[in-house]
Formats: sequence, C-alpha cells, structure tokens
Amino acid sequence: MTGDGAILSVRGLSKRFGGLQAVDRVSFDLMRGEILGLLGPNGAGKTTCFNMISGVHRPTEGTIHFDGRRTDGLEPHRMAELGVGRTFQIVRPFASMTVAENVMTALGRSNYRGIHPLFRRWDTKPCRDGAMELLERVGLTSYAARNAGQLPLGDHRRLEIARALALAPKLLLLDESFSGLRHEEVARMEGLIRSLSDSGISILLIEHNMKVAMSLSQRVVVLDHGRKLAEGSPEAVAADPEVIEAYLGKGGIVDAAGGV
Amino acid sequence: MDLFLEQLFNGLAIGAIYALITLGLALIYGIFGVLHVAHAGVYTIGAYIGYGVYAATGNLALAFAVSALLCALTGVAIERFIYVPLMKYPPYVPLISSIALFMATEEFCRLVAGPYVLSFSTNLPFPAFSFSGIRFSSNLTGVYVIAGAIFFFLWILTTKTETGLALRATSMDAPIASSLGINGALAVDTAFALGSAIAAVAGILVGIYYNEVHPDMGAMPAYKSLALIVVGGLGSVEGAVAASLLLGVAETLLIGFAAIPLPRDALAFIAMIFVLMWRPTGLFGARS
Repeated sequence: MTGDGAILSVRGLSKRFGGLQAVDRVSFDLMRGEILGLLGPNGAGKTTCFNMISGVHRPTEGTIHFDGRRTDGLEPHRMAELGVGRTFQIVRPFASMTVAENVMTALGRSNYRGIHPLFRRWDTKPCRDGAMELLERVGLTSYAARNAGQLPLGDHRRLEIARALALAPKLLLLDESFSGLRHEEVARMEGLIRSLSDSGISILLIEHNMKVAMSLSQRVVVLDHGRKLAEGSPEAVAADPEVIEAYLGKGGIVDAAGGV
Repeated sequence: MDLFLEQLFNGLAIGAIYALITLGLALIYGIFGVLHVAHAGVYTIGAYIGYGVYAATGNLALAFAVSALLCALTGVAIERFIYVPLMKYPPYVPLISSIALFMATEEFCRLVAGPYVLSFSTNLPFPAFSFSGIRFSSNLTGVYVIAGAIFFFLWILTTKTETGLALRATSMDAPIASSLGINGALAVDTAFALGSAIAAVAGILVGIYYNEVHPDMGAMPAYKSLALIVVGGLGSVEGAVAASLLLGVAETLLIGFAAIPLPRDALAFIAMIFVLMWRPTGLFGARS
C-alpha cells in the first residue's frame, strides 16, 4: 500500500462537515526525511487535512497510511504514540504550567495507559533532563522555569515544537509555525526546522508565508477549495498558471509566487 | 471556650464531609465541563450500598470497599452511557439530564429500600477520647482520619503522579493533551471513578454520623455542593475543599452562637452570593 520510502500516504482523502466539502479526494505522499509544504489560500482545507492525519477528525472517505500501517480513524493520542507530533495554528501552551512542565507532560505519553502507572511519579530527574534537552534544542532553556503563559509568541511556537518533539516523532505536522513572527525570529525558526529535518524527522508544513514555504520545502502540494490543485517542486508549482490564479483570485501573494 | 472548640471541631468534620462530596464534582466539572448534579445521587446510592453490605455482613470495611467500587462503576457508566452521547448538544442538555438522573436515583432508592429513614447505627472503629476537656467521639475521630487520608491520597495523586498530570493537562486543554499522547477518555473515566468512589465514602460517613440513611439525603448536598464549587472557583479541587471546610465551620458556629433566624442550609447560598459579588471567579478561580 505504502509507496517506496513514503512515511505518510494519503489516498482519496475527503471530509464533509454537513453540507461543506472541506477536503475533496486529496492524495499525496510524504517521503521519509522530506519537508513537504501544504499550501493554499484560506479555507483550502489544509488544517482539516492535518486534523485527519493527526486523528482529530475521522475522514469521510479515503485512507491514511503512516509508517506502514493504516491509521485513518485512530484517536489523536494513538497517533501521538505512533510518532506523529503536531503544532497548532493558534498557540495553546498549558498556561499555568512552567515551560519545562509543558514539555514534561508530553514526555510521559507512554505511561498514560492503564492502571499500572497510576502512582508513578512524573517529576523525576530523567524526565526533567529530557525536557531540558528538548528546550535546548529549540533554544528555550533560559525560560524553563517561567510560566508558559508569559512567553512571547515566537517562543510559544518554539515551545510547541519542543512539546511535539517530546513524542520522539517520526513525522512532525507544523501548522503555520511562522505566522506572527518577527523577521529575526523567522530566520531562527527556519534554522530550527532545517535542523529537525537533518536529524531525520519527516515534516509536513502548512504555511502562509510563501517565501519561507518555498525555500524550506523540497516539494509542495497546493490545495484550493478542498481539492489538490498542483504538486511538485516549489519552482514548478510557483510557475503553474492555475496556482497563480487561485492566489490572485483571493487577492493573494503575487510577489512571493513571482519571486521564487 | 470549650463549647466553642467543640463546635469548631464538629463544624470541621461536617465541612470535611461536604468536601468529600464536592471535590468529586469539582474534579468532574474541571475535566469534563458538565455540572454533574447526579453526583449527589451516586452519594445516596453509596450510603445505601454501604448500609446494605454492613447489615448483611457486619463488616464495615467491606461496606466501604464494596460501596466505593460499585459507585465508581456507576459514575463511569453515567459518564459513558448518558453524558458522552449528549456532549454534542449544548451544555444545558447534559445538565438537565443530570438533574433528571438525580431525581431518578432518589426514586430508585425509594423503590428498592422503601421511603423510610433507615438507622445506620454503628460506630466507626476509631478511638474516642477527650483532649483538654473537648470530647472526640469515635465517629468524629473516624471522619477526621478517613477524610484526611482521602485528601492526602488525592493530593499525592493529582500533584505527583503521571495520572494527575494527565488529569491536569486534560482539564486545561483536552485537544492539546490528546495531541501529546494523553488518552482524554481515560482521564475522564478516572475523574468519574475517583469522584464517585469518594462520594460513596461520604455517603456512608454521613449515614453513620447522623445515624440515618434515606432516599432524600442527597437533596441538600446536591444544591450545596453546586454552591460550593462556584464559591471555590469552578473546577478547582483545592477551592472546593477550602470552601467546604469553611462552610462546615461557619454553619456550625453561626447556628451555635449567633441567633440567626435563618435555616442553616441557607448559609451556603448567602455565602455564594457574597463571594460572587466580591470575586466572580470564586476563591481559587484566579486563572481563567
């Protein structure tokens, strides 16, 4: 079923909410170690795709294969256990916990099952060290003891990534990790994502910032009104007249598309 | 002075019993978002099961254990078969169902055990003693020891263990928690099972402390515990316990010393009105 070297295979994926066809027969593969950009105007169905891949929504039709097994319809915590980490478009840290505790929450995942670990302590040295290691990886060690609610937006986005990394993911779904970031934070985030990719994590990213998406992604898939409009290298897709029209029609991103 | 202290200790015991009922409600509201009015029904059922097991076997420890276990299962069954299917509707739908379910449990107890007041006449197996003139009956000592042990157990569970972390994360943000590998449905089951088992213990304690078990015994706790979780800060377990202890003491002292021409049960609601005027998020509800 799974293509050669594909860690994620999506086939004929559809989602209807009442009368709205949010995603309509979308198919694509994500190769191991690849960074794939999922692009498209607002309302194109990108986040709905993410929600189906991560188990939040059960697809109306179609199949999802992750790492050699069929996973459509599995619950989010099962997907997390299998190695799918994700971030959210709107950052949502556990605001009354510290930054380190946020990460430690995700580190316990293998133990949240059954009655046996009912009384296992969570605040242990290996867990604290593990959290610090991940915070170091995203550059947040100095904020470890701070309340997560007080972080600036750019740091929130990196905290979300640290939390997702605590799952030791094989696949990372990044939902608009660049939105709202200042210029220097964008460069930093780009470096972080590249380093994650270099460490062997496959990455699927939704991005509105076309410049960043085009430079990070090895391939891109463009959605419009729930359908796949184009797929290919960033250069080929940016030159695709249908893609340009989809964006122009929305009052979109002429410079970025033309600038690649 | 002795009378005052004696009243204070009695009031604390009553507050501790309120706390045992209310903390389950707070735990469940915090993680699940439903005002589980039928929790007081589980408490009544718990008292009856405890009474029945004790009448049949004469073994009080067994009565506590069986009642806690059966009520834990009852709580999870209510959650799975009544609330979960109703969660897709607006919040008043599960709330109204919960009120209906509460009335149904009262009638169920009346049908099975009869409309009488049953006398649960036994003493908790703890020593009675006098301390500088204040008398502690074995029941009073028992309420302190049992409630204290349960508070301690819950404090350890919620603050130190992975189960507690999963409960906390799910109550803060269930979708995020599940994306981090936490099984939200299991966390909700755990809250219902724990809360209901503790309500069963509270039911038996009340039955023994007042020497009566009857179908309507859940009515006042149902309304009072709702007022208490609002005063404590919706969903805050610490707040619910603090508010319960305060109310138990306030009720007892005010009735004992101040000639207030109001029934003691009105106090909870007066307190609720004043606390909400002063602090709309409740005593421990600073975070939103």
